[in-house]
Amino acid sequence: MTADDHTPWRTLDPRTLAVHCSWLGAPLGSLALTALATGGRLDARAWITLGAIAAVFAAVTAAGLITYRRTRYRVTADSFELRTGLFTRRQRAVPLHRVRNVDLTANPVQRLFGVTVLRAGTAGSGGGGSAGELRLEALSRPAAERLRAELLARAGADRHTDPLLASFDPRRLRFAPLTFWVFGGVFAVAGAAYRVLHGVGLEPWRIGFVRRAFEDFGDSALWLTIPLALLAIAAVGSVGAVVLYLENWWNYRLEWTDSATLGVRRGLLTTRAVAIERARLRGVVLREPLLLRAGGGATVRAVAGGLGDRDENRRRSAVLPPATRAEAVRVCGGILDGLAPDALPADRRLTPHPRRALRRRTLRGLLGVVLPVTLTLAVLGALLTPVLLYCAAGFALVAVPVVRALAHDAYRALGHAITGPLLLIRSGTFSRDTVALNRDAVLAWTFTDTPFSRRAGLVTATAAVAAGEDGYRVRDMSADEAADFADAATPGLIGEFLYRVP
Amino acid sequence: MLRPPRHRVDPRARRWWTLQALLTFSGPALLAAAALLVLSALLFAGALPWLAPLVLAVLVVPALGYLWTMPRWRYRVHAWEVGEQAVYAAAGWYWRTRRIAPLSRVQTVDTVRGPLQQLCGLATVTVTTASTAGDVKIAGLRAADAEALADRIGAAAQLVRGDAT
Repeated sequence: MTADDHTPWRTLDPRTLAVHCSWLGAPLGSLALTALATGGRLDARAWITLGAIAAVFAAVTAAGLITYRRTRYRVTADSFELRTGLFTRRQRAVPLHRVRNVDLTANPVQRLFGVTVLRAGTAGSGGGGSAGELRLEALSRPAAERLRAELLARAGADRHTDPLLASFDPRRLRFAPLTFWVFGGVFAVAGAAYRVLHGVGLEPWRIGFVRRAFEDFGDSALWLTIPLALLAIAAVGSVGAVVLYLENWWNYRLEWTDSATLGVRRGLLTTRAVAIERARLRGVVLREPLLLRAGGGATVRAVAGGLGDRDENRRRSAVLPPATRAEAVRVCGGILDGLAPDALPADRRLTPHPRRALRRRTLRGLLGVVLPVTLTLAVLGALLTPVLLYCAAGFALVAVPVVRALAHDAYRALGHAITGPLLLIRSGTFSRDTVALNRDAVLAWTFTDTPFSRRAGLVTATAAVAAGEDGYRVRDMSADEAADFADAATPGLIGEFLYRVP
Repeated sequence: MLRPPRHRVDPRARRWWTLQALLTFSGPALLAAAALLVLSALLFAGALPWLAPLVLAVLVVPALGYLWTMPRWRYRVHAWEVGEQAVYAAAGWYWRTRRIAPLSRVQTVDTVRGPLQQLCGLATVTVTTASTAGDVKIAGLRAADAEALADRIGAAAQLVRGDAT
């Protein structure tokens, strides 16, 4: 900090103040809707709301003005410095070599005003909250781009061969409906719409055409209504999923912006640009959720340090949208290429886990799902009506084979291997995840077991890394092999605590 | 095969875990059971024949079982060792975890003494690493031992440079 005090301090963009006022839109809009619905007459409640909005507006504007006036930043030869605060002046300086990644995001309002939020993640920001994160809200777009370049301007060694790994491809849109959001999304949107209508004082069933439709179809032709409704939900959900996909992945580009930085840029209304430093990149996860896997698709996440807390990490670590599996594997290779030139997590043969792991999965499904539901139905049936007894029998008949199939699938997914500098772990049935971690990045091992798993000779080994989800589990591997595997993956880490076999 | 860590925790840890069990689960469960039985005996005497076995099975037996089993089981599992390269700790009771973190990756060493631990003259040493899945916690050490251990791990970690990620 003392190195040079001559670097001038820079300020935020004044348009930030205008952005601050954008939250007014929602309450004013709902108030306008109320006014429209009631024919322009505002009751006492509306006036109170208006008064509260005015008061909060004054407070927020004042706070925004103070933040704007009091925030200063600069980049000196070796550190990034930030001054904030009115009563308690805070000055934070982060050495440039501690900056892990720089992320530019802009929500639609910020885009409208041409500003963007810059977040610089540092070593400490992985664990909890925003302690190690410097956040500038907001800068003009050119200023933000320039600052990012300054923060990440550390000379890299070698030039990568093909910097562009993947870009937006409309053919990938066909994978969009294969996400959970097809059904979940429709219900979420319906719930939100109901709440909005309820909020402005409208009950959906009182609207004429809804009630008429209900009366015409509702009771008379159930065999027609239910499939039609499901079809409609699927159609609406698919459209929603495609829209969401476009919003998230429009203009998508994944590239090595320079030899030391992996850049992801995406988004239609909310644009997102994440820069991941090569030195903080610990590996990749190839994710194949059940539906997507059935359609031959996969997505890719980066395992990198300093991307924020769990929630932030999930949003910022996505580097490839749902795409064909072959393309996902290629992108994994392109990212890992930066880590280690000779490693590709293609369908290498992974070491399978003992058969006892399959029994555990089957038992877990039967005892955890089938038994409780069947028992509840049976008890209720015995007490109330025999119809439920048939339901119980039917459920058990359907659920047992389904659980067995899922358990088999989960068991087939289990596997681990060491290839070159990488540690490969695969598991999961609802989301089959193949994790490829840089072996050097593993900083601790945990072995977890219970009396039952000990009797089955199984143990779960967890590799701790300072990135991504922090811990990556090798589930239910053979207890005899677990320690040796960990020792082979990270030589010297656990060696002194092993029984020496002569 | 992984061998268990060399050193057991202080025997007084059993008392600490018993107190903990009393405060968190067993105590409230037993109190609730007593309150239920007294109230039903006073007000709904007719309910006792089916309420008493229910309370016994759902509250009293689990509470006493937890109080009796957990501290002994934990004492058998909990152990620690500081080797030349790494720190190694075993913890838990039903779920047993054994964790090994190299001294070169240690970020901070914290010694914490909660009110119950102070009562028993114990302390917990937490060795943090850059990953939350790599933090090693050694609970139930004698207070003086904990200080010495923290100093030793801190000194060993000092020898390594870099940001330890």
